[in-house]
Amino acid sequence: MEFSLSPKQQELVEKARAFTKEWISPNAAKHDRSGEFPLEICREAFKQGFMNPHVPAEYGGTPHRVLDHCLILEEMCTGCSGIATAIDANGLSQYPVILAGNDDQKKRFLAPMTDELMFSAYAVTEPEAGSDVSRVRTTAEKVGDDYVLNGVKWWITNGSVASWYFVLARVDDKSTGFIVPADSPGVIRGPKEINIGQHASNTVRVTLEDVKVEAKNRLGEEGDGFQIAMKTFDHTRPGVASGANGITKAALNIALSYAKRRRTFDKKLISNQGISFKLAEIMTRLDAARYITYKAAWLFDEGFDNAREAAEAKWFAADVAMQAAIECAQVLGGYGYTSEMPAEKLIRDAKIYQIYEGATEIQKMIIVGKLMRMKEVH
Amino acid sequence: MISDLRKLTAKIAECFKDRYYGRTFRCPVCHLELAVVDVNGNRLMVCPVCGVVLDVEEVYGHAVPVVMGVEVHRPQPKTRIHPLATHLPIGLYPFAVLGAGLLLIASILGPVMPGLAPLLDRAPVLADATLVLLVLSVGFSVVTFFSGLRDWYRRYRRRPYAQIRLKIAFSVIFLILGVLAIALHASGAAFSAATGLVDLGSPLAMALAALEIAVLTAGMVVIATLGHVGGTLVFGR
Repeated sequence: MEFSLSPKQQELVEKARAFTKEWISPNAAKHDRSGEFPLEICREAFKQGFMNPHVPAEYGGTPHRVLDHCLILEEMCTGCSGIATAIDANGLSQYPVILAGNDDQKKRFLAPMTDELMFSAYAVTEPEAGSDVSRVRTTAEKVGDDYVLNGVKWWITNGSVASWYFVLARVDDKSTGFIVPADSPGVIRGPKEINIGQHASNTVRVTLEDVKVEAKNRLGEEGDGFQIAMKTFDHTRPGVASGANGITKAALNIALSYAKRRRTFDKKLISNQGISFKLAEIMTRLDAARYITYKAAWLFDEGFDNAREAAEAKWFAADVAMQAAIECAQVLGGYGYTSEMPAEKLIRDAKIYQIYEGATEIQKMIIVGKLMRMKEVH
Repeated sequence: MISDLRKLTAKIAECFKDRYYGRTFRCPVCHLELAVVDVNGNRLMVCPVCGVVLDVEEVYGHAVPVVMGVEVHRPQPKTRIHPLATHLPIGLYPFAVLGAGLLLIASILGPVMPGLAPLLDRAPVLADATLVLLVLSVGFSVVTFFSGLRDWYRRYRRRPYAQIRLKIAFSVIFLILGVLAIALHASGAAFSAATGLVDLGSPLAMALAALEIAVLTAGMVVIATLGHVGGTLVFGR
């Protein structure tokens, strides 16, 4: 059992940390207030190789192992999880293509993304189908050799800037995945949703009105869609958990820095047991969340089934982040409740981790599902 | 068109902000935007508006200020010249710009609207008034500049603040633009000394008039920015 990072991983972490300190953290408050999409930061992230981390080398990518990717995301989310989401969202939509796409699809949709800055989006969620992906109502009707898609996709991250979408639709009640170019006639992008947190992330509604999609853009066979969508999450959930860990790390560091300098009752704030124990608890939870996350990522990298561990990591890290952000505000006292200090942003940003890519309750259902198939837990 | 203009303006403002402020954080008490670069070697900074003493540490690129105390007794100059002097240029300058603008419009409309003739007879008076307003405005801006420096020495104890840096630089720019506008106007090459109007038959006169209007407009933006930044130093965000 090895707990330390390899020199290569350490180098990667330091590079991501430097990028975060120079580009993400200083712009976090600005993008949080304006809600402006961080295009310039994405451009720099693309230049430094932080975007498209999963595209295989034969299509021009420099793929990271999931564990390495988790380490990068943890650093970036320490700066701003909204900006980090904008940078990383390509990975979620690219993975279905990596997983189920043929060579031609990979050449047409993945390879160009390594040449220049481009975005793609994972368009699965619908107004009446969030965590319950099997309820998607978007239809794909076979007309000749093509498909005609109709439906509404909701809360699509990077939806306004994407060049293409991974869309889950029903072909005669069979869930099927498609790659839909964003400039296809009938693709209508809605306005940016005003969410409580992650304001830098671009979340929009995408309406599909009689959108013609060529059969060559269908991923896998008809009926493979649900499996592709679910398998994608096994790959991406450790990354989401890492994002939550980044928030926890930011909350802990901010609270620690504040508690060590602020004086109260003629001593430093951290000298009060009520405060110091909070910090000790956050640290312990962060360590626990990281170990589950790293294990989920490592299992994936080694080719093992990581569905349970990915679900564990995702729900636990999200809960820890939420708790840490709230405790950070508590340590900062009245200042934690103002919008001028970073704590309130962390609370708003952390909440989404308990919801997106499968709510906490869904993760627990996945874990129970696995437990039910086990005779005993070792 | 309007949204493009707004975007362009925001971009220009952002460039200036980056130049004078760099990375910023907000005072947790009065919410004034402060530059990280102005935090001294001991990590300390005094907010120019509310006087709180801040210990600022960077945590993962986030500036985390901690209030260590409040500078209650802040010296005030005995005679507050700057607040009085500053409103004279700010008050007079827009009327000078308005005067030059009206003269240009009258020059263009005069030939096509004969009904304006009685008004055009008074154009030289407006041209003179514009020059007087310009001279007063730019002249008093010198007083404003030095009284502002005096306030910085006394009230703000010569501490570095992005707002002060920006105000000094913009004051100099305003002075240069103002002197240029006065020179153009007083020379009579743009707006004729005799008629007060632009000679539309002379390309040079038209070019100089356009230049004067451009200089005056730029000066307007500069003085408005100076007023705005000065206001934030008094009232906070």
